[in-house]
Amino acid sequence: MDGDSSTTDTTQLGITGEYMTGGTYVLQTQDDDGDESFNDHEDGNGSKDYFREQDIYLPIANVARIMKNAIPQTGKIAKDAKECVQECVSEFISFITSEPLKLYLQKFREAMKGEKGINPVAVSEGLGEELTDDSFTGQLPAGLITADGQQQNVMVYTTSYQQIPGVQQIQFS
Amino acid sequence: MSAKNMEKVEQATNRKNISLPMSRVRLIMKSSPDVSCINQDALFLTTKATELFVQHLALSSYKNGSGKETNTLSYSDLANAAEESETFQFLTDILPKKILAREYLKSLEEMEKDADNL
Repeated sequence: MDGDSSTTDTTQLGITGEYMTGGTYVLQTQDDDGDESFNDHEDGNGSKDYFREQDIYLPIANVARIMKNAIPQTGKIAKDAKECVQECVSEFISFITSEPLKLYLQKFREAMKGEKGINPVAVSEGLGEELTDDSFTGQLPAGLITADGQQQNVMVYTTSYQQIPGVQQIQFS
Repeated sequence: MSAKNMEKVEQATNRKNISLPMSRVRLIMKSSPDVSCINQDALFLTTKATELFVQHLALSSYKNGSGKETNTLSYSDLANAAEESETFQFLTDILPKKILAREYLKSLEEMEKDADNL
């Protein structure tokens, strides 16, 4: 991936393999149960720059319910697992929002370069090239990216996904 | 899409039955820089894709993890999935593996000892 604000490059993390033999680690309390709180609940008091916990994450009950429906009936889910999937979900949304946006801006600038007074440019893109993620490739064109002469930043984009076994199939034509 | 197609889509999706709040998804999308307006279809697709992502992540982690023994999906299952699967590579930053502090300090001491011995 290109260098952008959300890095997945593990060598850029503080604790890296130079201390440990492999991988990256985070320190854990002695208790080793799921009581860790991932968020500082006092966030709202100080700077207004920080979003409240409920703003940046999806409700944990919804997330937990979806997880529960996915795994076999008798399975259980650890509390910290639920919390961290909540974070992963927000990361995922940001990820698929930013990647097509980059592509769109690139195409938009290329389109704008040569011509003046260009009429609405309609582009429909898939996410297949952007994600190395095989599960989310496939043909699913839907939606448009349009820009008019005023260069408004209106973004509509497509996502594509592959049918995941065991999950309800959705047909888009 | 024509009306007939929309009807088919709606039937297939059980009348747009999604479990996640679209307003919250929109909020998170807006936290990305340069995003001003979001089309309704894109929002719906993102929400639905997120749902499928959760299912996929949960199921993959559960299957690869200690599912058979403990019958529980734990944090370490997720961390393993992030590291091993190419699909979930983008999650490695927020799903690091955990280690007890004393083990880390012990390993640190051993590293220093090795460095001294050289």
